Amino acid sequence: MHAVLLLLAGLTYLLVLGPIVIVLITAFSGSEFFAFPPKELSLRWFVTFFATDSMRTAFLRSIQIAVVSAAAATILGTMASLFVARRKGLAIALLQALFLAPLIFPAIVLGLSLLLFYKLIGGMPDFLGLAIAHTILGIPFVIRSVSASLLTVDPVLEEASQSLRAGPWRTFALVLMPLIWPGILSGAMFAFIVSFGELNTALFLTGPGVTTLPIEIFSYLQFQGGQLVIAAASAVQVGMIALIVLLVERLVGLTRVIRSR
Amino acid sequence: MSRQFRLTRLSASLALLAPPLVLFLLFFVAPLLSLFWASLHAASDSELYGPTLTTAHYATILTDPFYHTIILRTLSTGAVILLLCLVLGYATAYVLAPLPPRRRLLLLALLVLPLMVSNVVRAYGWIAILGRQGLVNSLLRDTGVIERPLVLLNSFEAVSFGLMTILLPYMVISVANTLTAIDAQYKEAAQSLRASPVRTFIHVTWPLSSPGVASGMLLVFLLTLSAYVTITLLGGPRMKLLVSLVFDQVGAFRWPLAAALAFVLLAVALAAGGLILAILRPQRVQGKG
Repeated sequence: MHAVLLLLAGLTYLLVLGPIVIVLITAFSGSEFFAFPPKELSLRWFVTFFATDSMRTAFLRSIQIAVVSAAAATILGTMASLFVARRKGLAIALLQALFLAPLIFPAIVLGLSLLLFYKLIGGMPDFLGLAIAHTILGIPFVIRSVSASLLTVDPVLEEASQSLRAGPWRTFALVLMPLIWPGILSGAMFAFIVSFGELNTALFLTGPGVTTLPIEIFSYLQFQGGQLVIAAASAVQVGMIALIVLLVERLVGLTRVIRSR
Repeated sequence: MSRQFRLTRLSASLALLAPPLVLFLLFFVAPLLSLFWASLHAASDSELYGPTLTTAHYATILTDPFYHTIILRTLSTGAVILLLCLVLGYATAYVLAPLPPRRRLLLLALLVLPLMVSNVVRAYGWIAILGRQGLVNSLLRDTGVIERPLVLLNSFEAVSFGLMTILLPYMVISVANTLTAIDAQYKEAAQSLRASPVRTFIHVTWPLSSPGVASGMLLVFLLTLSAYVTITLLGGPRMKLLVSLVFDQVGAFRWPLAAALAFVLLAVALAAGGLILAILRPQRVQGKG
């Protein structure tokens, strides 16, 4: 019995990690066509990636949108957590359900409804429109990790601060913030990562003017086939995420990075 | 004095709530309401939707056999994915749960990190493996098993299998969290009453882990419904699920029908979620910690 379980667990890791590992290795291939393992190694496809205007632009645009929406999601999500996390009652439960809904709400429907809504209100710049969608998708991740941090803070500390006549702002900046910043930071990381890889709302909200890297990869795969520059583009996507996770892991530790997912 | 103090505190907290709430009402709730409103209108050639109110789009979707086929196919894709995720995910979580915390965390991290990678990259990984010039075909050709490449993509199986591997980590993480939290004393109690390992699993471990199974299944099914990119890349142009139809109708500028399809998709999500909760009954062990 135990052998079967171990086999199934091994299969899980193989199926989840295998495709990503193969893409990462293929990205360093030196040949013209797909061959695995690659016969020779080179960086030529990365050079091609950065030399292709549409890809480089999409990559930079993805970073801009992820930074803007993660910043907005972090600020707004932290505000929401400060309100929701330590209150109880029906209204609070409803608010919490609303703010966390994007975690499970089919994003495709959100994308479609925003596209229609933007058209109905007379248009919205592509960049802003997509950044708003990604902010909404990022907020629940921020709320979850900030709320988890807030619940570990003893309310007595805030009362003490207020009894010393510190206002809400000073209390937040001098008492709360130093205690919950790891939660805020990992929330910001998730918001960035969600935006950086997001497809379902971006499919509707990107246009000729603004394309993100995942959408660029998708349309390339759809219309020009799986050339190896896609492997390099994918490796850039993965590398960017790895970089951010490593950075945040250094600052707040692995437990937090894993747990708030 | 204290009353005034409380009022300042309340207004300060409302100032905290207002910006995120306004954002959600304006760009989440209002767009959904307007999408629903659009789904209740006749199509129009010049506008997004015409002036007449009608439920015709819903009637079409509910009566046309074409849509029945698609809805049924969406449900069976979801069912296959859920079943495979349950078997692989539960087994993996069961292996991970008793490990020492540090090792468990590292092994879970190996499954969480792929969730951060864009799904388009992970789907491309399967194209590299299963495609015409992919890994499997070139291995089989080089060893002389086949002469012409096998068609492994563009099928129901490719979509179900590929999407399953993409969503599998959610199941593992969600089940592993509840399994880890189960107090070992319950199992010991069952064993001291001479329950066999199988009986212990059926009567103790499985019911106690049902909240994790339920939330994993809900997440996997809901994400299956939205996975347009994976479905398109692995299923090809002819493998259509509900979400593909939403896209096709938007592409054809038939906004009201697209909107109605989106709400049918939401209804399917709700129904499936209700079914999962009704079968697994996680509420019987929740909140009694």
